[in-house]
Amino acid sequence: MALKALDIYKLLPKKNCKECGDPTCLTFAMKLASGKGDVEKCPYLDLNAKNILGASTRPPIQLVKIGVGERRFAVGEEFVVFRHEKTFYHPPGIMFQVSDLWPAETIESVTRRVGSEHFVRVGTDLTFSGVAITNESGDPDVFAKAVGVVEATGTHIPEVLMASDPAVQEEGLKKCGNFRPLIYSATRDTYKPMCALARKFGSPLVVTAKDPQTLGEMTKLCNAEGITDLLLDLSFPSLRDYLPAATEIRQKSISRSAPELGYPIFLDTTRYQMQDTALVLGIDKYAGVIVTPALPPASSVAALTLRQNIYTDPQKPIQMNPGIYPVGTPGKDSPVLLTVNFSLTYFTVQGYLESSRVPCYMFIVDTEGLSVLTAVAAGKLNETLVRDSIKKFDLENLVSHRRLIIPGYASPLSGKIEDETGWKVQVGPRDAAELGDYLVKEWKI
Amino acid sequence: MAEKSPDMGGKIGYVLLGATKAEGGTRSVSYHPGGETDLPFTGMKAWEGSVPLVAFEICDDPGYWSPIVTSYTGDLVSDTPEWARTAEKQYGADLVRLYLTSTKRRGFDDFPSITKVMEGVLSGTGLPLVVEGSNEPAIDSEVFQRCGEAGQGERLLLGTAEAGRYRSVAAAAMAYNHSVVAQSPIDINLAKQLNILLREIGLKADHMMIDPYTGSLGYGFEYSYSVMERIRYAALKGDTDLAMPMITSATDSLSVKEVRDAGPAVRDDIAVAWEFYAALSSAVAGSSIVCVRHPKTVPLLKQAFRELWAGKMPGEA
Repeated sequence: MALKALDIYKLLPKKNCKECGDPTCLTFAMKLASGKGDVEKCPYLDLNAKNILGASTRPPIQLVKIGVGERRFAVGEEFVVFRHEKTFYHPPGIMFQVSDLWPAETIESVTRRVGSEHFVRVGTDLTFSGVAITNESGDPDVFAKAVGVVEATGTHIPEVLMASDPAVQEEGLKKCGNFRPLIYSATRDTYKPMCALARKFGSPLVVTAKDPQTLGEMTKLCNAEGITDLLLDLSFPSLRDYLPAATEIRQKSISRSAPELGYPIFLDTTRYQMQDTALVLGIDKYAGVIVTPALPPASSVAALTLRQNIYTDPQKPIQMNPGIYPVGTPGKDSPVLLTVNFSLTYFTVQGYLESSRVPCYMFIVDTEGLSVLTAVAAGKLNETLVRDSIKKFDLENLVSHRRLIIPGYASPLSGKIEDETGWKVQVGPRDAAELGDYLVKEWKI
Repeated sequence: MAEKSPDMGGKIGYVLLGATKAEGGTRSVSYHPGGETDLPFTGMKAWEGSVPLVAFEICDDPGYWSPIVTSYTGDLVSDTPEWARTAEKQYGADLVRLYLTSTKRRGFDDFPSITKVMEGVLSGTGLPLVVEGSNEPAIDSEVFQRCGEAGQGERLLLGTAEAGRYRSVAAAAMAYNHSVVAQSPIDINLAKQLNILLREIGLKADHMMIDPYTGSLGYGFEYSYSVMERIRYAALKGDTDLAMPMITSATDSLSVKEVRDAGPAVRDDIAVAWEFYAALSSAVAGSSIVCVRHPKTVPLLKQAFRELWAGKMPGEA
């Protein structure tokens, strides 16, 4: 059960020494209660208090970091079952699988692709997360060589070493153990040597079992070996079992009714026929690390976009930076279209403007991410903002005319904007889909 | 299996779609979406409820349709009954959703043509139909009346009712015993309000499906996904005003920039990927009918649902 801040406060030294980085013991207690604090930061706790607090104040799902450097990522530390309850924080790492039986050039090209490929959406860089090297040869030297090929690319992307034999695993780790690769995986038979490797190389470890209950038993065994950076792998023969089990693990870890299940989930889609389906399930529902064959170009952007969608904070719309964005190559007499900095509005409008083939300027004002309708209703989009933004972004020197197209839903503001700015206002359509037609018919200079 | 939350005692209601000969119609199959008592694709009790259905969307004036679909499909799109037949026989859809896009033409008044299109599609396919009537309030009444009448006895799903514009479609549905798509703009409270409005004018809950409005992937899909989850969860917790099955269609999937601007070599595959990722995720969030427009998306979704669903598939005894 989660403790309340005051219950936690009673267990703290109440010295307000600030050594934990918080101003008082009470603020530290509040942080712990919300699952955001780290018990270890208090140097004065006795062991008993630590034990009580440790189990109930760590996030319900353990934070696990994979890889080092710029491309490292963290999974876990989630607090809700549904994203609408708050938000999901750590998007799953999507790892492209390579086999140690493949020619070096193939391994190299997949690795380089993950290293360099990126797509920009909503102002964010979207990338795949790393590679998973599978030991299909059964040979430690072949495996180590494949890991060596990945390392030699110098891409520094996170890795999963997929070798179930501890002796083979160790040969791989010798090549890349400094870079926090994810070790796959410990079973009931191999958990001791695998935990020893995880300890030696400071790597996170996947535990594999066929049902949540056994996974829970395994994490306890690994904890006893001193390993707490764990992921849970459900080795189901059928994809049908994934959602029920992943849902159970998520529910029980969030409610803390089974803290031993409080680790991120590992999903290997290569085990199944329907890898696209498995990938969608993993992204939608609770996976922390997903291994997939390298995706074809057609589904790459769809997969990354879905991941971005699911992990967008529902309470915080993604915002664009206010400013002037050219569409095509506009000139001094090109139209200027004002809209808000809610990313969805921006990208919808931009898409239709691009397809209209009319070069123009998008003039994005700061409505703190509100859509046109809500920004008008809340008074965030008003004549003063427009006036100040014209000045700030030097619109008067950008174009030679003084005409501004505003969104249809902002029509009540047209008179006030004209009075305040001296610009002539033209009211555009309400639906962005009609912008192309509108520009062709209504923009004449 | 997952523990059911103790506060989940609700059940999604059933809606009858299509009527076989025994049920008073001419369809070769009928469906009963609804009946779920747990989160989608989970559940402890023998997979209560229904597997999600795949509807293939067609229209009677392809001038208003995505060029991706029309160029992939070719001349077939100008023969609406044949297009419907192909959706059933070749693509393997569970339902056909017909959009009467001809009514979008300026000054449309050729109402007898609607009856003709309806009769053609009903004879072209034996699948249950979803019919999307006019886009113009002024002609709603006449259009929906024609649709309802032409489909009498067939248990159509008629769309679309919106707040402030639901009377014509509901009247046609009640007169000829069809069901109604109730669409609200990505908001659980507005969805509930519309269902109540429809109930108050006499439409029964087992004649309604909720359309929470689906933004396409990357263009608001996250809002739709969460609203679907909220609606489903509220219904499972016992809110009967939201306990209708959902129908969703990310209709903009084929017109977003990423798909529209794709090169000819990959355009179809990208279109299919964008439809598939959104439709499968919608089913995971609780949708009972997912609608798509690219022929290649249909078999992928059917295969996915067959893989994920432990209960009976449509048509199985």
